[in-house]
Amino acid sequence: MNGKELLEKLGKLRQTTCIKDVKPLTDALFPGAHCPLMGSAMAVRGIENSMIVVIGTDECSYYTKHMTLHSEEFGGIFGRCVSVVLDSRDVTFGSKKKIEEAMKELMEEYKPEAVFLTTTCVVEIIGDDMDMIADSLTEKYNVPFLAVHTEHFKCENHMPGLERTITACLSIMEPQEKENTVNVLGQRMGSFRTTELCRILKENNVEIGLQLPSGCSVEDIKTAPKAKLNVVVHPIALPLAKKMKAKFKIPYVFFNKFTRPENIYKAYEELFECLNIPVTEEIKQLYEKAKRISDEAKKQLNGITYIYGNTPFDSMEFNQFMVEEGMKPLVIQLSEYEGERDKNEIAAILEKADPYVAKSANIAPLQYIYDVLKPNLYLGHEFAARLRKKGIEIVHSDKASGLLGFEVTFFITEELLRASKEARELRKAMGEN
Amino acid sequence: MSLTRFLPTPSDRMGILWSLLSIEESVIIEYGPAGTTHFSVSLFGELDIEQKNRLYTTHMSEADVVMGDATRLEKAIKEVDKNNKPKVIFVVASSVAAVIGVDIKGICNYMQSEVNARLVAFDQGGFRGDYSAGVKEAYKMLANELVVDTDKRDENTYNIIGASLWSYRMRSDINEVKRLLFEAFGLKMKACFCSDTSIEELEKAGEATLNIAIQKTAVEASKILETRFNTPYVYGMPYGYEGTLQWLQQISSVIGKEINPKVVGELREKIGMSKQYQMYKRMLRRDIMQATVIGEYDTVVGISDFLQQLGIEINYKICTHSLKGIDADREDVIFLKTEKETIDIVKEAKKEMVLADDTMLSLADDSNTKLRIAPPVIKGMVLARHLPLAGIYGADYVLEYVQQYVQTLK
Repeated sequence: MNGKELLEKLGKLRQTTCIKDVKPLTDALFPGAHCPLMGSAMAVRGIENSMIVVIGTDECSYYTKHMTLHSEEFGGIFGRCVSVVLDSRDVTFGSKKKIEEAMKELMEEYKPEAVFLTTTCVVEIIGDDMDMIADSLTEKYNVPFLAVHTEHFKCENHMPGLERTITACLSIMEPQEKENTVNVLGQRMGSFRTTELCRILKENNVEIGLQLPSGCSVEDIKTAPKAKLNVVVHPIALPLAKKMKAKFKIPYVFFNKFTRPENIYKAYEELFECLNIPVTEEIKQLYEKAKRISDEAKKQLNGITYIYGNTPFDSMEFNQFMVEEGMKPLVIQLSEYEGERDKNEIAAILEKADPYVAKSANIAPLQYIYDVLKPNLYLGHEFAARLRKKGIEIVHSDKASGLLGFEVTFFITEELLRASKEARELRKAMGEN
Repeated sequence: MSLTRFLPTPSDRMGILWSLLSIEESVIIEYGPAGTTHFSVSLFGELDIEQKNRLYTTHMSEADVVMGDATRLEKAIKEVDKNNKPKVIFVVASSVAAVIGVDIKGICNYMQSEVNARLVAFDQGGFRGDYSAGVKEAYKMLANELVVDTDKRDENTYNIIGASLWSYRMRSDINEVKRLLFEAFGLKMKACFCSDTSIEELEKAGEATLNIAIQKTAVEASKILETRFNTPYVYGMPYGYEGTLQWLQQISSVIGKEINPKVVGELREKIGMSKQYQMYKRMLRRDIMQATVIGEYDTVVGISDFLQQLGIEINYKICTHSLKGIDADREDVIFLKTEKETIDIVKEAKKEMVLADDTMLSLADDSNTKLRIAPPVIKGMVLARHLPLAGIYGADYVLEYVQQYVQTLK
């Protein structure tokens, strides 16, 4: 493979107007993006007493169950992930009867409080009406059955699976008397309870209500409308927050996993305003500290080049942060592109750089462009040892999944500094400047 | 009886994939949504099958599904041919491609003139049975299409056919077969369908003087090679001491070579030693020696026969994959269509030897003596390549558990 030729096929960020302008490095991909079925399973994992029923081929069912085998939350092999495996007969004549039989067994043996009927590509192609099946099962068993559609040929990655699963939870929610609680929506990995945001809310006597999808029960979902505010910590929860606002009149604040101190402070301000609490001195101090740390880091990070792959952060917001630190993006890999939503971030990046853009989850051909672009850092999942041989240090950011607030800035700045220092030493060892 | 609680039996497509992924100098392109390929990576990693530069996906958009546009696949084929320069590109349909009726074979036909690699299409898509059907198709295709015509004979060589890496301890079993055939006859393995092999090895498989079909799924491919190259084949995997001796005798009669007396002596000694278990059986006052054996067809047949030779009654011989299509000739081996039926049988077992996969062993009562003999492996992982279930070493291993079991009986 020729790295230069691969790069010639890519567009630049400045020319990008929609996801179709973001080309894959190659037409043959490896490993490719995760599918929304996996996203759905990730969401159900955090909802106690609920079950995911994968409706699809043996293969989709196998891999999903396989993913849950060592998950304590799922309960391993005897746990909350089961399936209705379709054969060619079901594909021809429909899966309704088989699903009904299977649900009878499921209700007798597992006694779940909610059941997510997660479809796969084949079910969506044959057009089985899973919403209708879910409704009739809900009526029959007096337990919520929620249809979640996860066909991968209509989306780019696993996020829609998470989004649709938690959005489906709206139908479980029941009107409640209002209480002084705050729901946290969209915490997909890690625990909200260990975050800075959670600590600060608790210190200000704010009671945390529903935490969806990580760490809740079906009962928590039912009573979620008692909250006076929803805090959305990832875009996957925005559709649910909007629906809860319309149905239960619960306002929401978008408190994403921001990296820029300004954005974090703004989110705190908005949140505290909704809670009718003045922004605390501690938050102001954390803000100043975050600004100081990121300013000080500029000396070390200035001129550091990188290829962006996949992190727990918002892609454009994080890239803006790094560009403002003086770093130079060479390639930004994306699975989605929201030009209008991210216009400020994109404009800020373009002021300093115009990187290539490529579809994410295709690590095989990246090897060839490393030799051409010679980045200092790679941000995302890659093989660290392989990268080091090419003088590239990997930036580990998975730990940030369980962080929210200024701690995100502290963490990622430290990690960027560490990786940059390592990268410089790697280059020195290779006889380069 | 429609609920699948545990891991379902892998599909034909999955069997095809793990077979073909084991062949160096080839590349697989999956035509379908990318998520399936990404999801599969952990399973193939667990089976210790290399995927780097061997497995690709095209992904598929809604437009591709609705309009039947295969441009993505055409581009991917050309690209892999140019960049990876494989000898063979296997184009494998996804379930989506199969359901919408993409003509994978037709695409490969018209694309063949545009690439250097040989294009081989698999359009099963996961709907033509379980993995036993898939691996069988893979072996047949390789025997038909990839093995090159030859008049050359490489004396004292054999091919192994039916080495499915999904099978529990397959790599150890292959090593045991290789050891036995070298020690007994001085034979050397030429090609292995399909474990840790290459296109070059498979192409030259026609030069071997013998084919060993170690699983029932490999018999048809062996017949194809017999017709094409006049190469005789022997079907069977050696399980137990008597089974191993019979297997060697069978090979001896086919190749016309005596078994090394040292190997025969060792086996006869072990057969004699294992007769003591018949004596144990007669001495038991309260319990009876009994077992339930669950696994892949050939393992169930072989290990059950071994246990019966030791005096153990087999209550159930359950095959975990379909018997349809593999010409199963043992009526005492059953295939249960639903998971629930097997669960019920396993839960009933008391003071038995239960030989099965991890899931069923977890369900079995602790009064049983349990031995893992079948996939999938859930607890830990298989690392060793020298701990077989087959052959002399395999029989020794099983016998250790029999001894444990016997000590629990009165």
